[in-house]
Amino acid sequence: MLKKTSLFVGQVLFLWLVYEAGNKIVSFFGLPIPGNVLGMILLFLMLLTGIVKVEQLALASNFLLKHITFFFIPIAVGLINWVDLFLQHILALTMMVLISAILAFYLTGFLFQYLQRRSEK
Amino acid sequence: MNYLYIAAFSLLTIGAYKLSRWLFFRYGSPLFNMVFFGSVLVILTLIIFKIPYSMYEPSKDVMTFLLGPATVALAIPLYQNRMVLRKKGVRIIGCVVMGSLASVFSVILIGIGSGMEKFVVISAIPKSVTAPIAIEIAQISGGDPALAVAFVVATGTFGGAMGPTLLKWLGIVEKDARGLALGTVAHAQGVGMALIEGDSPGAMASSAMALAAVFTSIIAPLLVMILL
Repeated sequence: MLKKTSLFVGQVLFLWLVYEAGNKIVSFFGLPIPGNVLGMILLFLMLLTGIVKVEQLALASNFLLKHITFFFIPIAVGLINWVDLFLQHILALTMMVLISAILAFYLTGFLFQYLQRRSEK
Repeated sequence: MNYLYIAAFSLLTIGAYKLSRWLFFRYGSPLFNMVFFGSVLVILTLIIFKIPYSMYEPSKDVMTFLLGPATVALAIPLYQNRMVLRKKGVRIIGCVVMGSLASVFSVILIGIGSGMEKFVVISAIPKSVTAPIAIEIAQISGGDPALAVAFVVATGTFGGAMGPTLLKWLGIVEKDARGLALGTVAHAQGVGMALIEGDSPGAMASSAMALAAVFTSIIAPLLVMILL
């Protein structure tokens, strides 16, 4: 139990260090991407090159990814400040979400299907 | 006293999460989407007990402390699906880029066209990106994180619930193409639906979700600077 706990904490700490490294690099070089995206890319590269193995992070990453939706609840509570704004734009906002999702669905799916069929011929 | 509030609000939020998670798995209805139902529960509690948001806010920072490491861990599913990218990388990236551009540009056009406030449009731009990265994209370009989450959840819920049917209507029947579209548009919820259609569409969706996040995070700040 104690061993598992310390393993978990160690893995979280490692992920946190990669995250912080991403943030630091982004702000140092003034890169126009979020620090967490760079952190994700860094970890991907470490996995590709074999510096880190998936199993070495399994405990923490399984837990965090399983419950990642939890973190969005406290953030979404901030919507309490925007209730009026939502009601004011409700129709346009709904149209925006629907139309843009349908367009992106169609373009992505159609293009890939077209390319697949062409290469099969 | 401050710590007491933080503890109490954290318990409230965890309870709301647990309850909506239980309801979601029990009934499978998109109404019980964990972010939607969970945050509505917390918001209602704050309203009923007349608690100002400023009192809740410090506990938000405590609770989201692990979101950064969790986001970094998204590299793991991408790595596990790397074979997909190795085989059809260029084609996949090309289609995800086109889909993401369609999403971003239609948001900007509809947003400006209907006279929305600038920060609302900016918050909606990354709505097809997985939430932790969408929040950062919105903040970098001058949007609001809570609004960004709302758009992300709305898109994911619509895309996850209606996506498979819509794609059929639109004549997209090839399995991998469906997976790719679901991951590009409806992030994690799309991946969930794609996995139901099979392992290969699931892997396509998972890769598409990560690629859409990276691509949108690069172009969104630029587009905001140029167009808005």
